[in-house]
Amino acid sequence: MTPADATPTLEAIGEEGVALDKALIIQLAGSAVAVSLLVALAAWARIARPTPPLDAEAARALLAVEFPDDPVETLWIAADGAGLVARSGERALVAWRKGDGYVARDLPWAAALAAGSAKGVVVLKTADGVARLAVEEGQVWPPPRFLSREAAA
Amino acid sequence: MKTFDPVQMAIPFFVLAVILEIVLARMGRANARYETRDTAVSLAMGLGSSIAGALMAGVILAASVWAYQHRIFTIPMTAVWAWVALFFAEDLTYYGFHRLSHERRFWWASHVNHHTSTHYNLSTALRQTWTGGVAGTWLLWLPLSFLGFPPAMVAIQKGISLVYQFWIHTEAIKRMPRWFEAVFNTPSHHRVHHARNPRYLDANYAGVLILWDRMFGTFIPETDAEPIRYGTVKNLASFNLLTNVFHEWIGMARDVARHPRHALGYVFGPPGWSHDGSRDTSRTLKAKWRARTARREGQGPTGRGDEAGANKGS
Repeated sequence: MTPADATPTLEAIGEEGVALDKALIIQLAGSAVAVSLLVALAAWARIARPTPPLDAEAARALLAVEFPDDPVETLWIAADGAGLVARSGERALVAWRKGDGYVARDLPWAAALAAGSAKGVVVLKTADGVARLAVEEGQVWPPPRFLSREAAA
Repeated sequence: MKTFDPVQMAIPFFVLAVILEIVLARMGRANARYETRDTAVSLAMGLGSSIAGALMAGVILAASVWAYQHRIFTIPMTAVWAWVALFFAEDLTYYGFHRLSHERRFWWASHVNHHTSTHYNLSTALRQTWTGGVAGTWLLWLPLSFLGFPPAMVAIQKGISLVYQFWIHTEAIKRMPRWFEAVFNTPSHHRVHHARNPRYLDANYAGVLILWDRMFGTFIPETDAEPIRYGTVKNLASFNLLTNVFHEWIGMARDVARHPRHALGYVFGPPGWSHDGSRDTSRTLKAKWRARTARREGQGPTGRGDEAGANKGS
């Protein structure tokens, strides 16, 4: 490239753009193949973060990180340990697994209690995400503990 | 016009470096975590970004040429001093662009894509925006051509900066030598930039030189006392590629439609701004974090939900 090349005319830019189309398509196809191979390599490597099922201690630690200013009154952990629901005043704090991490949202406590469950899954709709949490076989949503707290209140 | 493009030239190196990081992590020789779907989104974002960039390239180049045709000075592309001057000028421009992209929602809507991964590895570096052209941040580089730097020269320097920023997206390198950490952007500094911990928010906007952050008061060092959690304050609920690209644009449009009287605030206010103060911005999150820290230091450790019952699946 020479200094003169640095100041093309607008017409030259347009003409060259057409000539570059073919090379660009070849390059994009090659890139797509490379992306696929890299994703396959990442899958093969199995080096995601270990995400064991939540227990009470891990659930509280997760709540402390995601909702540090919200005192937790009562806590429920999904049957498979892949999510939780906690009450904090009139809000339900919800977290559920996404990949090898968690997503955390909140919704009104009343909405959480009214959420529907079917086939062992309770579906909690938040403003920008849906939590699908496993309910232990033979159990119902909401857990009786949540309702008894409600009655006490 | 065939121009040397450092980013295009570096693509094979990018691929090899990602392979190396994955393999070393697999062998237990490097600290790196890769989640398959997260990696797929990052790499697809990179691919899509190059397509979006190609679509916008003509407009950006035409605007740069127009600015250069109206230049104040004529700066020779062959002079060493010109490249040195451009290195600093471009890097300062990048700092301004990057700060704007974090502190005002309109530009954050475009840039947030780069921060949605909850991982920090070399594939994260390739998680680039598709909507930067629409956001118009490229306009910030036009003054360099107006000043007299040839557009090709600016494009090359911009590419060099982007290539530099690739290698700093890793947890495999803990710290560089002290003199290097003092002057340059490093993996440690940039990990802070990708953190969602309140203490680290809105910091370390540097491209190549961390000096700008030190000069303008936005530098925060990484501390071993608080491990970094990556991603955005509210991590995305899905791995959907289009959600990743457009979620903030959609959220912004929705807010404007619901509260048209406060449209300016929702578009040009800081991310998280709301007319009724019901949401958190970086500033409020930091204030809450400071208050919590002060409480803890003043009162000692406090229990949290110790009396709350917890049982799994019942």
